[in-house]
Amino acid sequence: MVLKEEHRLLIALQDLDIMIREVKDKATADEFKSLGFKMEGLDELLKAREELAGKIPIDLLNRYEKLAEHYSVAILPVTGDMCLGCFVKLPTSFFSDAYKHELQTCENCGRLLYIP
Amino acid sequence: MEPTKLTTFFKENLCIFNLRSHKKLSALREMVKHLAKEKMISDEEFIMEMLKHRESLGSTGLGNGVAFPHGRSIAIKNLTVLFARSANGVDFDALDEKPTKIFFLILAPSDSGAETYLSLLSELISIMQKPKKLKKLYEVRDFESLMEVLGG
Repeated sequence: MVLKEEHRLLIALQDLDIMIREVKDKATADEFKSLGFKMEGLDELLKAREELAGKIPIDLLNRYEKLAEHYSVAILPVTGDMCLGCFVKLPTSFFSDAYKHELQTCENCGRLLYIP
Repeated sequence: MEPTKLTTFFKENLCIFNLRSHKKLSALREMVKHLAKEKMISDEEFIMEMLKHRESLGSTGLGNGVAFPHGRSIAIKNLTVLFARSANGVDFDALDEKPTKIFFLILAPSDSGAETYLSLLSELISIMQKPKKLKKLYEVRDFESLMEVLGG
């Protein structure tokens, strides 16, 4: 994967958001605790999120956060020639070398996509 | 629907029977590198970051020499389990502060739910609570004996 650094940071932010949701969801957190796992560092995760978000250009971050309000996973890798969020076929131009380091937008659902 | 047999989650090429690292981060790195070498992940750094964040919630070393590092990431396509054994043990900040000798690294895709690996974790943890099984697991040196312990 040869994505631009700001796009890599955004992807890492999404992984972190997924974990934060897992910790905040009481039912899931309780299941982990019942298995013996500690789930105690939410503040630390939120701090890490703040630091990471601070390194991402604000317009890109805003775009992601708006999408994340609608979709549990706002950024997705492309497999085959489809958006795995809405399963609509992507145009040929999507796979142009000119965009291979970029997050691109699915024209149908708006999710951010990248070629892994 | 019949439950998925535990042993089907394990693959011979995703086992490390002689983990070399002795420290937490280097042990995680060694396991993640192995997954990258086997082309199971698209990016080592995303996985490492996610695992480090997970460990910041509390060590996944649950004691008795066993750890279950786990999490979800965009850099993994399918539910993947890596088994690793360390002969001398790793300082993994385990809850009982003892060295960790057995690792089950469990990774799931971002777009799956936590339930994807919760049932697998639950099944593995219940096996690890059986002293005889655990003792055998400390000694496994090949895939066949691992399957015997997990499947028997």
